[in-house]
Amino acid sequence: MSATELSEKIKQVIEGEPVALFMKGTPQMVMCGNSLRALEALRRAGAPVVAVDILPDPAIRQELSAQSGWPTIPQVFVKGELLGGADIVEELEQTGQLERTLEEKLGAGYRDARGEKTVAVF
Amino acid sequence: MATERLRALLAHAFPDTTELCVEDRTGTGDHFQVTVASARFDGLSLLEQHRLVNEALAEPLADGTIHELRIKTKGTA
Repeated sequence: MSATELSEKIKQVIEGEPVALFMKGTPQMVMCGNSLRALEALRRAGAPVVAVDILPDPAIRQELSAQSGWPTIPQVFVKGELLGGADIVEELEQTGQLERTLEEKLGAGYRDARGEKTVAVF
Repeated sequence: MATERLRALLAHAFPDTTELCVEDRTGTGDHFQVTVASARFDGLSLLEQHRLVNEALAEPLADGTIHELRIKTKGTA
């Protein structure tokens, strides 16, 4: 796959999914403590999570960080906008701001779609 | 020592800092927790605050010195 194709696929996930989580591993097999922290905060908030495993190829992380301007993993996007990494998502959750943001951007009934799925970009 | 390098980069980026803490979380010199208090964070979103820290540490993030970074920012307001 060319870098352009990969970049396009990542963009599609970011812009097309209500909540996108780029993580190490998958929700079923998390490979990093920080990815788990972000996932669990989203779970507690009842978010519909679409996860992308960045580990299959280093190019995924390179293209992702080039697009987001964010150097570390995980990265959480809501409606195409970068929300932050694990620290930010946890901190937003603690202040109640995570659920408020999800409600504002996805609508009050966002919890109806709660759950997790994994998509591949590579 | 990586901790000192990170501390110097942050001190340079946030010369007004009133709290600057760099912890090596695992004792292996690559998993860090940094805490920074600065007036530069006032009025910024958390995302923008963390971006400033990431920018200050761009070099050690890019060259692999930092394997994991946890950030806590504090404004002065």
